[in-house]
Amino acid sequence: MVLSLALPLGAQPAFEQPFSREPVESLDQRRADYLDRNKQKQDWRLGLYAENDFATMDNSAIAMLLTRGEEIEACNRRVIELMEKPGTGPFWMFPVTMVAYAGRDKLSVEARQAVRDAWRTTRQLRGDTENHWVMYHTAMYLMAQMYPDEPGTEWWNGLSSEENFVEGRDWLLDWMNLTTTIGQGEYNATHYIGEYAIPLLMLKVWAADPAMRQRASIVLDWLFAELATVTLDGVLRGPNSRTDDTSVTERWNALATYFSWQLFGNVPAGERFHGWGWGNYFAVLAEHYQVPEVIYRIATDRKQDILQHDRARSRRIWRYSDEHMRPIYKTQYLRDNYAVGSHQGGISDPIQSHVWDVTWSVDDPRGVHNTMFSLHPHSSGRVQQMFFCTFPEPMPPGVTYEGKPSYNSANKLLGCSPYEQVMQDLDTVIALYDINPADDFPQVNGFFSKDLTDVEEHASGWIFARGGTTYLAYRPLAAFTWEPHIRYPNSRDPNITEETGGRVLVSPHVKNGTILQAADGSEFSSMAAFQAAILALPLSYALEPVPTVHFTSLRGKELSMTYGETPRVEGTPIDYEGWQLFSGPHLNSELHSRVLTITHGQLGRVLDYNTLSITDVVLP
Amino acid sequence: MTGLMSLTLASSLLAETAYDFFICANVNRNYVIGSTIVTTNGLFQRDPASAEWRHFGYNDTTLSAVAFDPRDHDVIYTTSLNGIWVSYDGGDSWKMTNSWDMTEGRDVAVDPHAPDTVYLALPDGIAVSPDRGQTWARRENGLPDRGKFTQTLAVDRSTGGRVLAGCEKGVFLTENAGGVWRQVLPTETQVNDIEQSPHDDQRWVAVTDTHGAWHSTDGGATWSQLAGLPDEEAIYNVTFDPTNPARLAIASWVYGVWTSEDGGETWIERNAGLPADPRAWRVGIDPNSGRLYASIFQETLYYSDDFGRSWAPDALEGSLVNAFHSIPRLQH
Repeated sequence: MVLSLALPLGAQPAFEQPFSREPVESLDQRRADYLDRNKQKQDWRLGLYAENDFATMDNSAIAMLLTRGEEIEACNRRVIELMEKPGTGPFWMFPVTMVAYAGRDKLSVEARQAVRDAWRTTRQLRGDTENHWVMYHTAMYLMAQMYPDEPGTEWWNGLSSEENFVEGRDWLLDWMNLTTTIGQGEYNATHYIGEYAIPLLMLKVWAADPAMRQRASIVLDWLFAELATVTLDGVLRGPNSRTDDTSVTERWNALATYFSWQLFGNVPAGERFHGWGWGNYFAVLAEHYQVPEVIYRIATDRKQDILQHDRARSRRIWRYSDEHMRPIYKTQYLRDNYAVGSHQGGISDPIQSHVWDVTWSVDDPRGVHNTMFSLHPHSSGRVQQMFFCTFPEPMPPGVTYEGKPSYNSANKLLGCSPYEQVMQDLDTVIALYDINPADDFPQVNGFFSKDLTDVEEHASGWIFARGGTTYLAYRPLAAFTWEPHIRYPNSRDPNITEETGGRVLVSPHVKNGTILQAADGSEFSSMAAFQAAILALPLSYALEPVPTVHFTSLRGKELSMTYGETPRVEGTPIDYEGWQLFSGPHLNSELHSRVLTITHGQLGRVLDYNTLSITDVVLP
Repeated sequence: MTGLMSLTLASSLLAETAYDFFICANVNRNYVIGSTIVTTNGLFQRDPASAEWRHFGYNDTTLSAVAFDPRDHDVIYTTSLNGIWVSYDGGDSWKMTNSWDMTEGRDVAVDPHAPDTVYLALPDGIAVSPDRGQTWARRENGLPDRGKFTQTLAVDRSTGGRVLAGCEKGVFLTENAGGVWRQVLPTETQVNDIEQSPHDDQRWVAVTDTHGAWHSTDGGATWSQLAGLPDEEAIYNVTFDPTNPARLAIASWVYGVWTSEDGGETWIERNAGLPADPRAWRVGIDPNSGRLYASIFQETLYYSDDFGRSWAPDALEGSLVNAFHSIPRLQH
């Protein structure tokens, strides 16, 4: 209530001002714009506390005020109050660490002691995911650095400052080594990107060890280089290790967009910066960072097509799998007006994966469902057991009240499946399904956005449509019906749903498949011409005994795929084993090399994690 | 004086009861990592005088198991999401002694014949401490590279260094304190619990995710399936009644509470009086009274004084009890 009263609509410049996707050529202007956006974000956040009423402010607002040197007495009071009821776990730990550092020479002795006491008295949780551990160990590392040489009696976990520091450091080094060697586990996450970027920026700014600062700088550039490469007009599309029920269809509506907005300035902000809450913490330190020129150029230039073949890894798998971490093979094809992305299918993350889509550009992506894809809506206690220490039954219904409301629903559009296999060549995707008939939801769902135009169910079996200026041809391989697309406005209540105006193609057949072909609006004079081109493409398929497809793509490639076998392009099996960590026009890294080369035009930056060097180069 | 000891001495029934009875409980329905804990969680001891559950130690929502040094009950081990916590002062202070690459401790057990030796079940194997939990080292020789998710550990009270481990791919046995493990019961899915009969140290029962319940009458060397229990859905735990050698009980999310009163030959569903769709999380029996407890998922803890024929609500509304644990009370 306080927020709505304190904050009249229209007080947020970033929401109302027109934005431009044109690159800013002047470095000085670009820096000024960057700082201005950060100031807008901070002003907005602090503007929530009207009439100097700071009694309800959170840790991000406190940290902002401390860095500005403003309202210190209010910060003191609020810190002492907040520390009376500490939270538990990494989502509490890293914000308080930020307050501790931002206020280390500004907060009163009493306020600093309140923070210190909380780290002595309240048992914290490490968590059980990669992002939890990044936040947790960063916080422990920095807090132990702030209070060195103290015995275990002064820390909540009984470990001395030295023990806490070493444990945090060793975990962070192991994670950075792993990430730069075989890839990130929570790759291309639409929301959790913040849980990596913020701790890395904290380490870059506050670690006393210059090597740790450099490591954090390298991995931060690494993270944002990939964000720049795989976003379309600043919008992160699939595949995603983790996304959510909203972002998977309204692709702009994600925390990742905040980073594009802040770093690249090529995407509009949402009203009241909705959904960008964690961005407040990045904003506290944003002045200490700016993406290098080469990353900025990659993000803001789609004049040349991008084809990246990259690797990542699944979340670590405790059980019910022969693999500790599955290699993830990502194909990213981005053009000026649309992008197609995928990984090979199968289980990558227990709940929130998104395997493939085509996403198109729109002038203003806010509120637009600018994407198309299909999936098998798999819900499984066994899959949860692969990744969590849990029994089979509680999690499928339980997570629907913990921010994943669609997880246990047949109509869901989020998640991966052990019964889905995907191949991609440029802007063609083939997804095949061989679903266990005993599965809870033996069907395939295809997402058809409210924002599609010219949708036509053709007698041939193809469904044609336009997304923005992009032509889309979607071929379901089994019979289907239509259901309304629903959204979950309350992420913690699966029983509250709203229809969006979009539709879901529901195909209740366990032997199944989807073929998708996209094309740019400039390639054909009309929808009729596009349809004619698609209908002329050789296509044969069978669903028994397992789904198999032979399709010659719009790009003239003979694509063959049989469920359970390695897909073939022009008769040659795709050499997944030979894929590098990154391979494409902008990002290149040999598997295990720990060296990432980032290029755009003549610009280059080499991130060498082995030598801890960052080298800018000019290419011939 | 520690919280544990003060509670123990405060009991007017001290002389009448032979065991201290504990639970590890999460009393925080829908808790999400990061939020402020508004309830009291962790270790609770049954106070026989007041019949209340008295909390001691840290407020931790994630405790999964507890064990005590049989020589000194002020030495306490608890597993949790963070790993393993050790207290040497009855729960007044604790230290997290696992390394960063050990996480999500599942179970902990002390060898009564060598109480400095402590076993830790982990989602990726087993660690052993030779020094009362101060340091830990992996002891996984003989466990499969994949399939060693260890949910439960049980030390054979008859023989030092003899331990059974419930893993994803079966029951594994070591006879040299983790030096080498061998599979004694292969299973298709996770072994969730292994218990040794308090009446017959050769008698063991193991329960699994979807592989039924099994028993051994030769110290865990060979196993046969208990035919009287269903095996399609997971059985979460099993418990013997220390007061009656014929009685056992199991908990299952799908099946609820089942009991046997003929040593496991036949079983009967005992869900009447429990919430519909019982979602039984764990059963335990107070060795002082034979009272049967059933933790119902995020409901109140229930108890039965007629071994499941009727139930009454106890305290701890909204709770999950992850472990029941009893130890013979030390005589001072």
